[in-house]
Amino acid sequence: MAGNNGGPWGGGGNNGSGGGDDDDRKGGGQRPGNDGPGIPEIDELVNKGREQLRVLMGGGGGGGNRSGSGGGGGPQITRGTIGIGVVIALVGWLAASFYTVRPEERSVELFLGEFLDIGESGLNFAPWPLVSREIIATTTERNIDIGTSLSGMDAGLMLTGDENIVDIDFQVVWNITDPQQYLFNLANPPQTIEAVAESAMREIVSQSELAPILNRDRGVIANRLRDLIQLTLDSYDSGVSIIRVNFDKADPPEPVIASFRSVQDAAQERDRVQNVADAYANQVVAEARGQAAQILEQAEGYRARVVNEAEGEASRFTAVLEEYNKAPVVTRKRLYLETMEGVLGGVDIILLDEGESGGQGVVPYLPLNELRRNATGGAN
Amino acid sequence: MRKSAILLPAAVVLLIAALSSVFIVDERQKALVLQFGQIVRVKEDPGLGFKIPLIQEVVRYDDRILSRDLDPLEVTPSDDRRLVVDAFARYRIVDVEQFRRAVGAGGEAAAERRLDSILRAQTREVLGSVSSNDILSVDRAALMLRIRNGAIAEARALGLQVIDVRLKRTDLPPANLSATYERMKAERDREAADERARGNEAAQRIRALADRTVIELVSEAQRESQIIQGEADARRNGIFADAFGADPEFFEFYRSMTAYQRSLQAGNATMVLSPDNEFFNYLKSDQGRQSE
Repeated sequence: MAGNNGGPWGGGGNNGSGGGDDDDRKGGGQRPGNDGPGIPEIDELVNKGREQLRVLMGGGGGGGNRSGSGGGGGPQITRGTIGIGVVIALVGWLAASFYTVRPEERSVELFLGEFLDIGESGLNFAPWPLVSREIIATTTERNIDIGTSLSGMDAGLMLTGDENIVDIDFQVVWNITDPQQYLFNLANPPQTIEAVAESAMREIVSQSELAPILNRDRGVIANRLRDLIQLTLDSYDSGVSIIRVNFDKADPPEPVIASFRSVQDAAQERDRVQNVADAYANQVVAEARGQAAQILEQAEGYRARVVNEAEGEASRFTAVLEEYNKAPVVTRKRLYLETMEGVLGGVDIILLDEGESGGQGVVPYLPLNELRRNATGGAN
Repeated sequence: MRKSAILLPAAVVLLIAALSSVFIVDERQKALVLQFGQIVRVKEDPGLGFKIPLIQEVVRYDDRILSRDLDPLEVTPSDDRRLVVDAFARYRIVDVEQFRRAVGAGGEAAAERRLDSILRAQTREVLGSVSSNDILSVDRAALMLRIRNGAIAEARALGLQVIDVRLKRTDLPPANLSATYERMKAERDREAADERARGNEAAQRIRALADRTVIELVSEAQRESQIIQGEADARRNGIFADAFGADPEFFEFYRSMTAYQRSLQAGNATMVLSPDNEFFNYLKSDQGRQSE
């Protein structure tokens, strides 16, 4: 009978501990209130249990009758049914008491609410209902994103030490090193980690200037941030370990990003302008070198020409002079006549004999213009 | 059957009595046992506790570190520039008895309201006494410590232990944000203009240097060229002087002949000559003029 009762009353006990769990958060003030309406429920349960018992016994009796060992077999069969019930209850109890912990998990066992033990991975035993347990994934990496704004638009905006604003997104990756501390020391650890991380980040940013955050100090900041978060969380005995901080983004805020880009453009422009100027310089200087060389070569050419001409002319004269010196009168006459021959052969000559026609009284009329016209006409 | 019908309710009643006279305090909790509203017992250690059913009730409080985020708060540091600050606190209920007395039946929600006002006052007081530059600097950690210490003293009356107060946001109010953006833009624009100007400066420098080099190169070449030409002319004069100096009179004659030949060319001259000219010496007589 008592064994048979264990089934429904086990349920009752379960109810009680369930109520205790509910009270974790709400406070115990409501507990008597819970119990108040609980009493009719328990009456119902008792009634139900009694009904079930009767059905069970009646059914058992029927079964016994079928097995055909006579009227005396009734109580024996009832005992057998009780045995089966006990076995079922035992199996149920064992199933509720044994539990597995996977490799990435640890369990924390509480004996009547008091910390008992930490369960390693594998099969663990926590005799229900005295020992309760909680399984948490410890080595699994968990992420908290900060600054990636889902609701607020300025979640990642932070004020730097030089009063600029920078838009930072980062991710904190953490796991649990001490499940006992993790469960018992902090209410809502993820929210705490987020708040601590944001605070630490803002603290670091507020001590730095804008330019280093944007580029070269990112690694340094990530390390400092990790250390600072870890230090703060350790001061809470949180049992949390910060594995790393991923620095996703550290940009100027949206409204000024165009200006930052224009600085980069300007730097490019500066290089470009210098390169164009360099190209110009190279071209012009090369041209000038060519021009200089040309001028020099021309001068050298002039020298060669002038000297050669002079030497030629001089040696020609010397040669003629030598011959002249051998027979000066004849050579002189010959040279004169040859020259005149050449000269007078080519020009128009007007011979005007003054001496024969008396010379005096006749004024030679010389129509120079006509002569010139004739000359050009002749040329035509 | 009749016996069990009496026994069963009796067992049930007994069990209910047994169950409602024990209570479990979790590792995360502290409990107060109240009798008609009066505190009879404090149970701080986790485990099993006992009470008189119906007469005594159990009130549980969280024993973990609790968090409290303050709503954004506008503070005015001593230099009259406004900052929006939000702080968060970590605290723990250490003295449940005092906590119960201080906050009454309102529990944790009432405590949070009280704590909020303490934190707000502390934050305002501490941040109002320093300049905004101190808040945005290395002193920030020290300021957080000051706020915490102030809050610890006041929260002790509530049975709370303030573990940590940290500032999260210390930002400019939204009204100042656009001004800050404008300033940042102006700074960047200045930098960009500077870059461009420096680029142009460098380019101009390079061009000017190139132009100068060009002029130098060309003029140097021209100088050399003049020197060379001068030398050439001098050499020519020397050569001529050497050659012609041997017989100046003949040179004059010879050169005149050459000059006549070159200058008086076909078609470009008309000469009016007298037959008395030496050239026509034999034009009228084979004896020449001497014979007359």
